[in-house]
Amino acid sequence: MAGQEVSLKQTTKLQKIWVGSKPYILALLIAFGITGAIIGLLGYNVLKAYQTLLFTSFTSQRGIIETLKKFIPLTLTTYAFAIPFKIRFFNIGGWGQMLFGGTITAIVGIALAGFNLPAIIFIPILILVAMAAGGVFALIAGFLKAYYNINPIISTIMLNFIAIYFVNFIATTEPWKAPRTGHPMSLKLPEAARLPELFGQIHFGIVIVALVIIAVYYLINKTVLGYEIIATGINPDAASVYGIKMRRTLMLTFLIGGALGGLAGGIEVMGVHQRLIEGFALTSGAQYGIFGILTALICQGNPLGVPLSSIFISILLVGADAMQRTLQVPVELVFLSQAIIVLFIVVLRRRAGGSFIQ
Amino acid sequence: MVKENKVLEAKNVSKRFGEVQALDKVNFDLNEGEIHGLLGENGAGKTTLMNILYGLFTEDEGEIYIRGERVKINSPLDSIKLGIGMIHQSSTLVPEFTALENLILGTDGNKMSLELKDAEKEIEKFQKDFGLKFPLHTKVKDLPAGLKKKIEIIRAIYRGANILILDEPTTSLVQEEFEKLLESLKKMVAEGVTIVFITHKIKEVIQACDRASVLTGGIMQGTIDTKKATKEDLVQLMFQDAEINITESAIPIINLPDVEKTSEPILKLQNISAQSKEKDGINLDSISLKIYGGEILGIAGISGNGQKELAEVIIDPNNITKGKLILKGKKINGMSTNKVFSRKVSYIPEDRKKESIIGLGNITENVLLGHQREPRFQKKGIIKWDKVTREAKNIIDEFQVKTPNEKKRAGKLSGGNIQRVVIGRALINELDLLVTHSPTAGLDMASVEFVFKRLVELRSKGTAVLYINEDLDELMQVSDRIGVIHEGKIVEIFGQDQFDKYKIGSKMIGG
Repeated sequence: MAGQEVSLKQTTKLQKIWVGSKPYILALLIAFGITGAIIGLLGYNVLKAYQTLLFTSFTSQRGIIETLKKFIPLTLTTYAFAIPFKIRFFNIGGWGQMLFGGTITAIVGIALAGFNLPAIIFIPILILVAMAAGGVFALIAGFLKAYYNINPIISTIMLNFIAIYFVNFIATTEPWKAPRTGHPMSLKLPEAARLPELFGQIHFGIVIVALVIIAVYYLINKTVLGYEIIATGINPDAASVYGIKMRRTLMLTFLIGGALGGLAGGIEVMGVHQRLIEGFALTSGAQYGIFGILTALICQGNPLGVPLSSIFISILLVGADAMQRTLQVPVELVFLSQAIIVLFIVVLRRRAGGSFIQ
Repeated sequence: MVKENKVLEAKNVSKRFGEVQALDKVNFDLNEGEIHGLLGENGAGKTTLMNILYGLFTEDEGEIYIRGERVKINSPLDSIKLGIGMIHQSSTLVPEFTALENLILGTDGNKMSLELKDAEKEIEKFQKDFGLKFPLHTKVKDLPAGLKKKIEIIRAIYRGANILILDEPTTSLVQEEFEKLLESLKKMVAEGVTIVFITHKIKEVIQACDRASVLTGGIMQGTIDTKKATKEDLVQLMFQDAEINITESAIPIINLPDVEKTSEPILKLQNISAQSKEKDGINLDSISLKIYGGEILGIAGISGNGQKELAEVIIDPNNITKGKLILKGKKINGMSTNKVFSRKVSYIPEDRKKESIIGLGNITENVLLGHQREPRFQKKGIIKWDKVTREAKNIIDEFQVKTPNEKKRAGKLSGGNIQRVVIGRALINELDLLVTHSPTAGLDMASVEFVFKRLVELRSKGTAVLYINEDLDELMQVSDRIGVIHEGKIVEIFGQDQFDKYKIGSKMIGG
């Protein structure tokens, strides 16, 4: 025992950071290596592809804005997965929660159009509506787990389908649907319900996300509820023996995660499209909700790691779009590298003796 | 002097696990046809040494000789070939198989069909010769722990073992069963089997063994002839510098001071029946108990007879199907654990790592567990971490937790230190009732004494203590009364003047 304590003291901070980040760096190198090899084999210029992939976000103002625009919903759907993941449950429904939140936001926004509310009231109302919608939608899965022991993986996937068709229904049905359009979409939201643009470039959602990041940090580290979530996640037996209510904690994590997923939908509807439109939750042809799972797995669901891993994936997504546009390299290859990164992070962390779940 | 026939010799065996020197140049030998006690506290290296002989671990240094011949044992397969059999502390039988199926499992590798009839006859002969009776055609999962031990012993013999290692075989046996087992072992020895008997109880060694070796902290303190040695010699070997007075069962001696009991019971269980939370748990069946302030009520019983359920029904009275649970005159059926705790009740669970601590959390975070909603540690849902840290530092000081600081991960502390944190946490508030389940399991002597002293201190302050433990010797040391639990029922309650290992033991097995 004494020897162990001495050796603990000897590890410097730098060493600790190295030990912590080693699996990530290795996973990144392996994934980029494999993807690079495939890009090369398919006959593309590997160097150019990587240059485009990694640096598009930084080479122009537009790149930065595009990256932030992806970062906003991605961070939120990542939390949607990461928070229930803290107590070891898989919310595969960040996607459905985003769709549902966006749809309800559009419905309420259109319904309130006649009241001529000022933006300062209208926008907060819609933000709360989006969060409530996503939260309640996820809570269904939390409730089914808590009271009927139904695996949330199954229930959230099923709820995703409901959300998809709900979007289509609203976007193609009177009185919500926009007249004379080929693509399913709703009427536009009133002016006062749209998120303002900051510096004429990026919508107000970026401020909301910054507040969410701070709030989640505060929740996890400073509050009783955060403590109970962490304790339950590490050792559910001890947590329940010492009076932490499992059902309550479980349902709250789904409620909070779902609320943030719903918020992602609301922000996209209010800030980007200004209406409900089929496919509003897509990026590079895939759902933000799916990327959220991936992104959360990269940071092992660590709430502090969420913004970091979200910005990283956003950079890749922007780069991947550019790569497809300019070099005709399919974006799917970037998805491939993301998947490989996640797999190797899991494998390498296991090998390093760390647990998959923190 | 007759030259002894050495069947096994281990010379200068060392083994290291990371930072821990589990065995340090240990010498150990076995004479043919003896019962050899291997004595030592938990963590002394007894099981490590035997696991090396059985091939589960490989020694870092040292030599092993079987009947004078140098051998290298790389796996249990090697050791079985050399005639070494080991019976582990926990059962290694396949629960879904019958005893017979378990016995022949793996013996006839090259045949496609099982010739059960021949095997059955052979096994029945062993059973008769050694007096180890058990049903051959019942699924093992339906048999009690005592019988499983017998099946494992016969299995080893059936596979040709003539050196038998028994790792703490008496943990789940009551006195009567222990004596029967001993008889069987003596019969085996007469047939030429040599037995290693691992235990931490001095009394058992004196009763059962011809010679005994004492290991402490991975160092062999010596081997003595138990016919000539006294209990004091063994104590001397086992606890050289310790200033602890211990009984012959190697338990610290504690004096219970005179304390006036409260006139009304702190906790009353009236005819309580309750559903177990676990799938294969035991349901509580019409339990009536009264626990007064200023007394320690011991609960004895073979593991898995409803002890855990009894503890849990008190701190989480939600599964009660019948009866009344009354805490300080107020019915608390259906109350939440938080509310029960807020009525000056605390709990020290049985399984430290699984139920007491959040292993990946540090000491401070663990001190908060169960107190996180108390006003002194939070305001409007925001935790006052500075207050928690101060409390953690207090506990480390007062309970002598060996740790560099309060930021150390709780899961990395030793069992004794974890238990000090857990007890410290339970005692943050004044208590009227403490429910505790095997709080001393696996602890070294100093920590066991520490736990006992705290329980007795609580008793002196007028707290009611419900002390559940499988170890009857420990219960008899610190209890005012002992209730025996069997299959979810309290079958009898013994007063201090009626404490008797045989009587209580026979109740424990349903006698």
